[in-house]
Amino acid sequence: MAAWRLSLCARSLSAIRGLQTNHLRWKSSSSRAVIARSSVKRKEQREPTEGWMEDPDPKDENVYLKNSNFHGYDDDPVIDFWNMQVVFFFGFSIVLVFGTTFMAYIPDYGMVQWARQEAEMLVKHREASGLPIMESNRFDPRKIQLPEDD
Amino acid sequence: MLKIIIPSLMLLPLTWLSSNKNVWINVTAHSFLINTLAMATLWQMNETGMGLSQTFYIDPLSSSLIMLVIWLLPLMLLASQNHIKKETDYNKKLYISMLIILQTLLIPTFSANELMLFYILFEATLIPTLVIITRWGNQTERLSAGLYFLFYTLVGSIPLLIALISINSSLGSLNTLLLTLSNYMLNQSWSNHILWLACMMAFMIKMPLYGVHLWLPKAHVEAPIAGSMILAAILLKLGGYGMMRLSVILDPLTKSMAYPFIMLSLWGMIMTSSICLRQTDLKSLIAYSSVSHMALVIAAIMIQTPWSFMGASALMIAHGLTSSLLFCLANTNYERIHSRTMIMARGLQTAFPLMALFWFLGSLTNLALPPSINLIGELLISISLFSWSNFTILLVGTNILITALYSLYMLITTQRGTLTPHMINLQPSHTRELTLMMLHITPLSLLMINPKFIMGNTL
Repeated sequence: MAAWRLSLCARSLSAIRGLQTNHLRWKSSSSRAVIARSSVKRKEQREPTEGWMEDPDPKDENVYLKNSNFHGYDDDPVIDFWNMQVVFFFGFSIVLVFGTTFMAYIPDYGMVQWARQEAEMLVKHREASGLPIMESNRFDPRKIQLPEDD
Repeated sequence: MLKIIIPSLMLLPLTWLSSNKNVWINVTAHSFLINTLAMATLWQMNETGMGLSQTFYIDPLSSSLIMLVIWLLPLMLLASQNHIKKETDYNKKLYISMLIILQTLLIPTFSANELMLFYILFEATLIPTLVIITRWGNQTERLSAGLYFLFYTLVGSIPLLIALISINSSLGSLNTLLLTLSNYMLNQSWSNHILWLACMMAFMIKMPLYGVHLWLPKAHVEAPIAGSMILAAILLKLGGYGMMRLSVILDPLTKSMAYPFIMLSLWGMIMTSSICLRQTDLKSLIAYSSVSHMALVIAAIMIQTPWSFMGASALMIAHGLTSSLLFCLANTNYERIHSRTMIMARGLQTAFPLMALFWFLGSLTNLALPPSINLIGELLISISLFSWSNFTILLVGTNILITALYSLYMLITTQRGTLTPHMINLQPSHTRELTLMMLHITPLSLLMINPKFIMGNTL
């Protein structure tokens, strides 16, 4: 930064003193300020203006020019239209609509409600008979055969 | 079950015998019809699942994954229709056949009753995927990507084969239902440790676990869109599904053997999320985000609690749909600008407002925004991990934060801001692309309302 400012000052000063061989780019009318070209020799390097990656691919064409109702499926407009209709009909109207209805009306998924009703019945029955609600043994201890201690 | 497998297999003659102009219409329509048939598997009547025959068994865990597989085939066909246009008709039909073969192999994989049948089909799915990646990928790196994908998985699977044969000979059967009733206790011994590793490593590599995840960014990035979709949505979940099935015979050794893998998953998910923040390649970002989400699933399956299994199943389905959606969105970008770099096309919301809606919804579900099913999965996993060890909340919380960061980074870089001035040839969104996104978002949104179907078999 400082070097640039110094070179700028040097260039302006030498330009004012008429020591610059290259022309001035700008000369102020109100002061002695000038802008001169850089005296450093630099190879003229301009990047090529074609062949950037961001440039549109010449093989890409605007599909909407040939078929303004292009749906993205096929270049033939009839096939394109049919494909769009088929996807919408089978995909949305049949699978999503019927499938969602099916899944919404599945009775008692995983038998959760049945399990709750059964438990309530058992609790009611047990409390009426005076038994404890649940035994602490899941399995009958007389039926478990333990191996001998080896 | 045959009513799903035979029609899927019959899609192959349909492809080859259809006239060239009707191929896509026929196959797409019939694959949607197979979906309606397969919905019946979602009617799970009890906690033991549907024992359909001696070879096929669908429980609530399998049913959601099978539905995802079958739902994904028409979506893959929709996504590929544009980039395959330039190939010969023979190649188009070959590509469609690869996708159909993959689906036909994946359906029995998720419903296999025997672990050996599951293993054979698990390996068989590698072949069509390898063909899709190496033949129809776009860059020259696809060859190395295919090699990484194949050999990483094979290195884990050969020990799995040996372990399954050994368990078969000691137990007499590898039937998943019988194994739940068997009394096979793995005691602490060196050979049992190696048996545990042999069983689990194949699925860890598939998930992928953080240390062995290198195949995933390569394979996902180099694959064509259908390959990326099926990889991200289904093939990763094969690992999770396999781990859940095998965990019944690997008790009680899992309690001690799981530690290094839980550690790797928890650390790995933060690392891969952080890598996402530094990605310039859009597909690579989504690939690493898959690693991060699946690391949560691995950690959940390792701790083996009912809530963590629910969370793992929910997250697998949710991530399948979300990741596939994000890959499709990235592909719409790629087809227009022929580059995967994110900063090449910014401010796309101005050019494609409806697609920006899907970018927005996809990014929001990716960062597990309530009330999406991604959140249900992540929340259940976080809670169960916290109850397993209090310290994990720090790691999981950091991951949720970084996930939000990179999802929003991806959204803001591609959608917000000013449109890049050099992009002058962006065609408007095709109906096909918008339909594809809608078909991803609709199940995601509907499952939000009724998530009991994806909660797995511990619901």
